[in-house]
Amino acid sequence: MIFDFNTAAKAAIGCWATGSLLSLFARRTPALKLAALMLSFAGSLVMVGFIASYWSLLDRPPLRTLGETRLWYAALIPLVGFLVEYRWKITWLKYYCMGLATFFLVINMLHPEVFDKTLMPALQSPWFIPHVVVYLVGYVMLAASSVTALHNVSLQLRSKGNVNGESVSHYLALLGFVLLSFGLIFGALWAKEAWGHYWTWDPKETWAFLSWLAYLGYLHACRYKIDRGKLQWYLALSFLVLLVCWFGVNYLPSARNSVHTYTQS
Amino acid sequence: MVVVRRRWFQTPWEFRESSLVAALTVVAGFMLQYATGQGLPPLHLPVNAVVLALFAALILGAGLWFRENTLVQWLGGIPLGLSLIVAIALLSLIGGVIPQGEAMPGSLSALFGVHQIFSSWPFALSILLFLVNLGLSLSWRLVPFSMKNIQFILFHAGFWIALSCGVFGAPDLQRMVVKVDEGQESNLAWSMEHETEQQLPFSIFLHDFSLEEYPPQLFLYDPQKNQPLQERNKTTTTLHKGVKASWTDVDVEVVDFLPSALPGKDGVPEPAESKAGVPFAKLRIVTADAAPIEAWISTGSPMMKPWAVPFRGLYFVMMPGTPKAFRSDVTVRGESGQLERATLEVNHPINVMGWKLYQMGYDDEVGRWSKYSLIEVIRDPWLPAVYLGFFMIMAGNVLFFWNGIKQKEVAS
Repeated sequence: MIFDFNTAAKAAIGCWATGSLLSLFARRTPALKLAALMLSFAGSLVMVGFIASYWSLLDRPPLRTLGETRLWYAALIPLVGFLVEYRWKITWLKYYCMGLATFFLVINMLHPEVFDKTLMPALQSPWFIPHVVVYLVGYVMLAASSVTALHNVSLQLRSKGNVNGESVSHYLALLGFVLLSFGLIFGALWAKEAWGHYWTWDPKETWAFLSWLAYLGYLHACRYKIDRGKLQWYLALSFLVLLVCWFGVNYLPSARNSVHTYTQS
Repeated sequence: MVVVRRRWFQTPWEFRESSLVAALTVVAGFMLQYATGQGLPPLHLPVNAVVLALFAALILGAGLWFRENTLVQWLGGIPLGLSLIVAIALLSLIGGVIPQGEAMPGSLSALFGVHQIFSSWPFALSILLFLVNLGLSLSWRLVPFSMKNIQFILFHAGFWIALSCGVFGAPDLQRMVVKVDEGQESNLAWSMEHETEQQLPFSIFLHDFSLEEYPPQLFLYDPQKNQPLQERNKTTTTLHKGVKASWTDVDVEVVDFLPSALPGKDGVPEPAESKAGVPFAKLRIVTADAAPIEAWISTGSPMMKPWAVPFRGLYFVMMPGTPKAFRSDVTVRGESGQLERATLEVNHPINVMGWKLYQMGYDDEVGRWSKYSLIEVIRDPWLPAVYLGFFMIMAGNVLFFWNGIKQKEVAS
């Protein structure tokens, strides 16, 4: 094969690791700051490049299997970390994000997937890419929101006030919720064209609805004068529902008849 | 500061009372389910539309005329809304974990409707109360109207319309399957839900069914373990001329590949354009300890046995590719004689006389040699209303996103 996943993954992890190290040293030597950022950024760039080459080699978007979706998370999650640093001057989130991305890549290295070009007819739809990409970006936002919330909880336990951090987890959850709504509706519109009905309570649909409800609940609790600080636990744990929806569904008894159990090649 | 403890049911009602009412709704639903032994009686057009219109008018009327009433305010408030979101989420959780549709008749879980949770009484009552809650909160933002509330109105009204029309309109959804043989016409549809056959107001004539496959693949098959051996690079080998593959100490090269061929007089495959043609590949098998072997393999077809190459107790076999696309060339004839020719394909349904026609399936046993096509016919008169709701939700979300970003600027 012309491309090699392991090389790309190791290069990306290497970039993130050295970038993170440099960034820690940059606290004392600010001159290193730019180099650290460039290196961390290069890690994601490597993954974006790999996804692009993989896409052209497969002749289809690499969004079909769980392993393929992990590639996208690995590329995108660190970018959210950099964005948050740029926007809110919060520096710690990017380390978590790069750690999470590394974790996804390691899973893929341990479970190499069979290279498969086929795409079943139902997936050959103009809705395929918008539906999955909107969900991917939404999940990335909510993952970052959950990590931020967890960090806020740990600060609270040490009795440190942290209004800025709470507003970061809040806005990430808000943006994530908007993207979940779009993903859900795009999925419904696609389902009508491919399977004949927009909503059939397929287990994946049910869990997508559940995770949507979880964040809908959060937003209304926020609206109803409930202290945001108290909701950090809730935000941190909501992501677990998303994780069940993303891949946990495959292991549930209800998944036997699902159209969403990704092909296990 | 003196903390005054709220008593139960002290006005205004808060989360405690709301959670209690939500829980009682669910319990009452399960009791109703147990007592009646079935879910809601299905209401069809026009009855369901009238009931929905009355329901909406009632909510709007109550919201506008009694907006100062504490009970109405509580009914449309966030505490009840949140409690119902939790109730609906818990019921959905049951539906998301327990397989739906397969119940042991007479079992306790079947009696409480756990296997049909989404058409059960507890779910229906929770949704109805949720619609009351959502509708009331909406009525207060609608009147007096202000552009400031447009994002709230779009999202909540969209959700109300999509949810209510989806729920009230569900009994009017008709889903049936028509099986048509090539060169034949049929107007008989089978309803899997009701297990009945029904005449359609149109008929479908099938000119041709065709199926396109991905290229076939090469496997080294172990008949004892009944599974293929893993290739050295852990890849699957898609067949085309010049492709190479290796298993432990054996190297294979495809020296010739014919996508559509038939065996000639001397047994050597010759290219054939006809529909009966099958793919053939000529393999060159090289090992360290023996002279190279050259032999043909093929997927075979219902008319021809597959060709395999035996090798040390194993077999080199060609597996047909998975379906890439399948389509039916049809003519639909209405009751008044109007004709419409169309091609049905997965993801490309057609609209005919208020029905939507979908390419559903074919004879799986023979794949592309299937002599019939399964066409799904669907009618959902409530679809435009549900879609209106969807688009309002999306429009509301765009504004939410936009405002979220704008507020972010203020926050930082």
